[in-house]
Amino acid sequence: MIGNDIVDLEQAVIDSNWKRKGYLDKIFNNEEQFMITSGICSSLMVWLLWSMKESAYKIYSRETKIREFAPLKLKCNNLIIYNDKATGKVSYEDEVYFTESNFDKNYVHTIASTKQEELEKVRVKITDQAPPDYKMTNPNSVSHHGAYLALVYL
Amino acid sequence: MDRAELIARLTPIIATYAQDKDAVASINETTDFIKDLKINSANLVDVILDVEEEFDIEIDNLSMERMLNVNAAIEIIEDKLKTK
Repeated sequence: MIGNDIVDLEQAVIDSNWKRKGYLDKIFNNEEQFMITSGICSSLMVWLLWSMKESAYKIYSRETKIREFAPLKLKCNNLIIYNDKATGKVSYEDEVYFTESNFDKNYVHTIASTKQEELEKVRVKITDQAPPDYKMTNPNSVSHHGAYLALVYL
Repeated sequence: MDRAELIARLTPIIATYAQDKDAVASINETTDFIKDLKINSANLVDVILDVEEEFDIEIDNLSMERMLNVNAAIEIIEDKLKTK
């Protein structure tokens, strides 16, 4: 199963003040917070880690039908960033999800899967002009934030 | 503090982050933060931090996990106020 999550970085600035006292502590563990505060692109790292957690959570909640808001239980690890891409893993209880992220100055987008090889097979479409009939194309996973719509096909 | 008063103090907090402003007008105990009010999940953290400030309580991670609707929020606030 595939999950995906897009963060419109301009919208994120309007929506969320991650520098607010207590904010990071509710979402990110010490290791993740270290990645955020030790780098130069703190804001990008916040949304990269967030989109990893969200995309993994979407698979988990779809598979188990369990809804919960437990960002600290989703743990990002093995994060490798090269140029405008990143790969990593998110663990949630006993499950492990593999993630692949892409970013530019406008958005961060992550796809997650329980099978690493599945990530190579998917087709991703990201647009800021969502066609009204996109649901007819049967995307496997849909994410929408701000100006952007991300569709993933398997 | 009774439930009506709790909802009255909770409503302006969740209204700040609700993207469906019409749904805010009809808030009741069954209202779901994400499904009904379309609160962005990154803003759920703000709801929790605002509730902590408003009621001067601390919401632990286990409580936060189930704080997805008005009813759960009220239960958690009542519980934390009791043990203050």
